[in-house]
Amino acid sequence: MVNIYDVIILGSGVTGYSAAIYSARFGLKTLVIGTRFGGLLQDTNIVENYPGYKSISGLDLMKKFKEHVEDYDIDMVEDEVKDVKKIKNCFSVKGKKSYKGKTLIFATGSKRRKLDVKGVEEFEGKGVSYCALCDGPLFKNKTVCVIGGSDSAAKEALLLSEYTKKVYIIYRKEKIRAEPINLERVNKSKKIEVINNTNIVEAKGSKFVEKVVLDKNFKGSKELKLDAIFIEIGQIPESELAKKLGVKLNKKGEIIIDCDSRTNVEGVCAAGDVADKEFKQAITGASEGVIAAFNLYEYLK
Amino acid sequence: MKKKILVYSTPTCPWCNKAKEFLKKNKVEFKEVDVSTDEKGAKDMMDKSGQMGVPVIDIDGEIIVGFDEKKIKVALES
Repeated sequence: MVNIYDVIILGSGVTGYSAAIYSARFGLKTLVIGTRFGGLLQDTNIVENYPGYKSISGLDLMKKFKEHVEDYDIDMVEDEVKDVKKIKNCFSVKGKKSYKGKTLIFATGSKRRKLDVKGVEEFEGKGVSYCALCDGPLFKNKTVCVIGGSDSAAKEALLLSEYTKKVYIIYRKEKIRAEPINLERVNKSKKIEVINNTNIVEAKGSKFVEKVVLDKNFKGSKELKLDAIFIEIGQIPESELAKKLGVKLNKKGEIIIDCDSRTNVEGVCAAGDVADKEFKQAITGASEGVIAAFNLYEYLK
Repeated sequence: MKKKILVYSTPTCPWCNKAKEFLKKNKVEFKEVDVSTDEKGAKDMMDKSGQMGVPVIDIDGEIIVGFDEKKIKVALES
């Protein structure tokens, strides 16, 4: 007999795990499918805004989440979902294996946006990095830059300032959009300098990155010498599979949900970074996931 | 014959930890090189791989950049 789950949760980050805990507590037969247990939060150095933890590493926080999930009777598989289809009264989810569920929660999150500028792809891993937490320590006493102006970009710069001699934040708009607490830290740091209203147009070097070319002069030159470029220019929602299912997306490609985390397709909810909510945080993802689980519990009654 | 395996990594890198966990789980012995403190190790890694990113895994001279489970399995079995 085919095993039919009440809820299949696609995604194993903060959002998926939170939804899973509630789903199991509601007595629903639950499956979590993810390619990376713990999700993207693991790449965050320090989390200071998840209530209950004054300061904890993203990796440690997700370990705690996983332990909590494992305390329940929840199936978890590491698999990459390639296709989702509606078949009669249930959904078929296909990865390496096939799964069936009466309802779905898309907690698929997002992937990093790549910077499409000359030389950047070529130097990826050769001074161009998308993970300050991973590669930052390799640039002790060096000069680096962070591309981007979000709170994440500010946090990357702050982390990098612990290792490096100098960190430039290069941002295309007038003012970086960091949380006030992080903005103050950036402004106070003697190592960080913000270059606003500027884009990079090329990464140059021989074996490794040696400099970037800017679209306007900075201190009298368009060329800025540095040893590494860290890119933090936002995320792309992982909504392709949902789209195939007929789920409505907004212009940014995010899944449109209502305040009960429902999509336009019956029995399908979405939550977290993949959903069309302006404020994307660990705690808001957790909350949307939990609401999704509750909604599907009511739906399945 | 037992393979000589080096894992170039930093303590904070999530993918390095994942790679190390994977090797441990498969009972594969390896030597860890912390490139955040070992400058010579960092230079070796860059020379071998042409990369300034972690993890880099050296399996008997075969260089694998990033945590690529398939490539690691193939290199271990070859």
